Amino acid sequence: MTVLGYLANGLVFSSIIVLGSIGLSLVYSIADFANFAHGDTMTIGAYSALVTFGAVGGLGGAVLGLPYGFFVALVVGIAVAAVVAVATEKLIYEPLDVDSIGLLITSIGIAFIYRAVIQIRFGSDFTRFDVRPLRPIEALVPYGVRITLHDVAIFGSAVALVVGLHVLLQYTDLGRKMRAMADNPDLARVSGIRTKRVKLWTWVIGAGLAGAGGVFLGLFNQLAPRMGFNLLLVIFAAVILGGIGSVYGAMAGGFLIGMINQLTPFFSNVVEALPIRPNWLATVIENMITIEYANAIAFVIMVVVLLVRPNGIAGEAAT
Amino acid sequence: MSLLDDPKAAFADLSRPERWVLGVSVAFVLFLLVAMLTGALGPTYFLFLVGLAGMYALLSFGLNAQWGFTGLINFSVAAFFGIGAYGTALMTASGSPIAGGFSPLVGLAVALVVALALALLIGIPTLRLRADYLAIASLGLAEVVRLIVLNERWLTNGSAGLRGIPGFFDGWPVLSTFPEAMPGLRLVVIPGSPVILETAFWQAALNVLLVLAFAGAAYFVLRRAHRSPWGRVLRTIRSDEDLARALGKNTYSFKMQSFVLGSLIMALAGVFYAHLNLYVGPGDLDPITTFYAWVAVILGGSGSNRGALFGGIVIVTIREGTRFLNDVALPIDPAPLRLLLIGVVIVAVMRYRPQGVLPPQRELIWPSAVDGGGTPETPDSGVRERKGGDDDE
Repeated sequence: MTVLGYLANGLVFSSIIVLGSIGLSLVYSIADFANFAHGDTMTIGAYSALVTFGAVGGLGGAVLGLPYGFFVALVVGIAVAAVVAVATEKLIYEPLDVDSIGLLITSIGIAFIYRAVIQIRFGSDFTRFDVRPLRPIEALVPYGVRITLHDVAIFGSAVALVVGLHVLLQYTDLGRKMRAMADNPDLARVSGIRTKRVKLWTWVIGAGLAGAGGVFLGLFNQLAPRMGFNLLLVIFAAVILGGIGSVYGAMAGGFLIGMINQLTPFFSNVVEALPIRPNWLATVIENMITIEYANAIAFVIMVVVLLVRPNGIAGEAAT
Repeated sequence: MSLLDDPKAAFADLSRPERWVLGVSVAFVLFLLVAMLTGALGPTYFLFLVGLAGMYALLSFGLNAQWGFTGLINFSVAAFFGIGAYGTALMTASGSPIAGGFSPLVGLAVALVVALALALLIGIPTLRLRADYLAIASLGLAEVVRLIVLNERWLTNGSAGLRGIPGFFDGWPVLSTFPEAMPGLRLVVIPGSPVILETAFWQAALNVLLVLAFAGAAYFVLRRAHRSPWGRVLRTIRSDEDLARALGKNTYSFKMQSFVLGSLIMALAGVFYAHLNLYVGPGDLDPITTFYAWVAVILGGSGSNRGALFGGIVIVTIREGTRFLNDVALPIDPAPLRLLLIGVVIVAVMRYRPQGVLPPQRELIWPSAVDGGGTPETPDSGVRERKGGDDDE
């Protein structure tokens, strides 16, 4: 594959990571804890879409190689993820009387419950959406880019959702309230913002985007009960790289981490070509930068960012 | 106030949750004994369960030294457990790609040294981080360790894992041949269902002895450390790191010491596991092990070693109970059921009893300093609420 091919793959994978990382970052800044159940919220979205798609079927026509029914399923996946998250907030997180570390630990329990329920219902095996796999777009193959119309759909939908979120945050009342709350919850509260309601909306938006990310992840790879949990740390890496609490940082971080993840084979080619001395160092680096370690590289970047620049690449910038 | 001198007074001295736990534990042990005598539960399997409970208790002790004493959120328990298991397995197993064939004692030493190195490697960068960042970073680094173990086939045999690990007492005088030398016993307690004790039983008994030795040693070291001035500094760090620093303590160094101590105990659990299971694979580094240990600690009560012991027993009950349930009653896949129970336990503890079932009591004073009976009033809300540890650094 050429550089362009890797970049194109990176763009598609980044879209999924960005959808996940925005929600995680929003919840981190407004509900004020690291939500370890975020990955499994993605899984919930994916499986809800799977069930819906199986129920409604194709519904006639198709856009970008995806039947209309799939988009219905996508909306249902988003909705179910949001509803489940709001219910969890109402039933579990809100009545809790613990600090943010306690909430973090609780969210691990929630993550296990989500995953266990899905696994009991659907088994632990891989499944796929019942969509016909497509061949790569012919016109792009000469450039070494092998992406399908589905990938274009993923990227396009992600861009639409991100732009929608941007508009919401910058130009609506709710967005202004959310930014105020992320900035200073106490001040937001005394200035008359109903912080509880804003928090609920945060869950709706964060979990909804996660649900969409989960559906796309299922389309990009396949569905498995562990899919979300496996991606969770990569998403954390993206959020931390972008700076916790900053939505635009999360977008940038998600983009970078997704790109690095998919470009790893390219980097390993580059490293092989570079004249690195001494030889043992070259061997070590060549061994470490391989596709098996794509996720590990993201985690190491995450730790380095935490140490060197805990505010992330976006710095102190507000939400 | 010893239990033997005056059991009644000792019982009256217990707090209510302690009585509950005692009652439930006694009932549970009786239940297991009855099951064993009637033949429903093989004695060898029973000892295996005891060994497993000891292993989880050991893991929880290790985590307790980090989270309970010092407030370090370490989500890399599985990495230390796995490194301990792999350390000894690589030295002793016949299928080891690098060394192999050494005595398990060499394996133990190597496992501890490797765990020490890993603790420093993970601790040096992450222990300066804020609590929630430490959680994420340590989970990430544990995944890095898992990926390395999975992919470096020349070193670890990759996904095939390591087979042919000898028992821990292999090559020891007397003990190595003890199971074979012991006569097979046939006990008939209830007519018609004899309990047969064979070589495998004695083997399992030796393993239990080993884990009891490990856990006992860890328990006493931790108890002594907890009450020492060193332990007091750790507790100060847990409740207010800035205060500890203002008192002139090098908190980073203290945190590192408690991290290393805990990690070594976790590696000890790994060593025991390798010689119990006689096989290790990359699956043993799965993050679920980390959360088993966490459930045991928060259920038992953070900072409480008795609680960790109790938590370890609960974990084994969940782990093996789901398997048993699957075999006997409900044909539900045990893996997700286990996950569900773990999740429910975490949420329920955090909701209804965030300080755990057996929170540490009298932890600031020597027991001899309390004269005579009378348990001090147990605070309803533990130190955890008041520590306000969300914005230190």
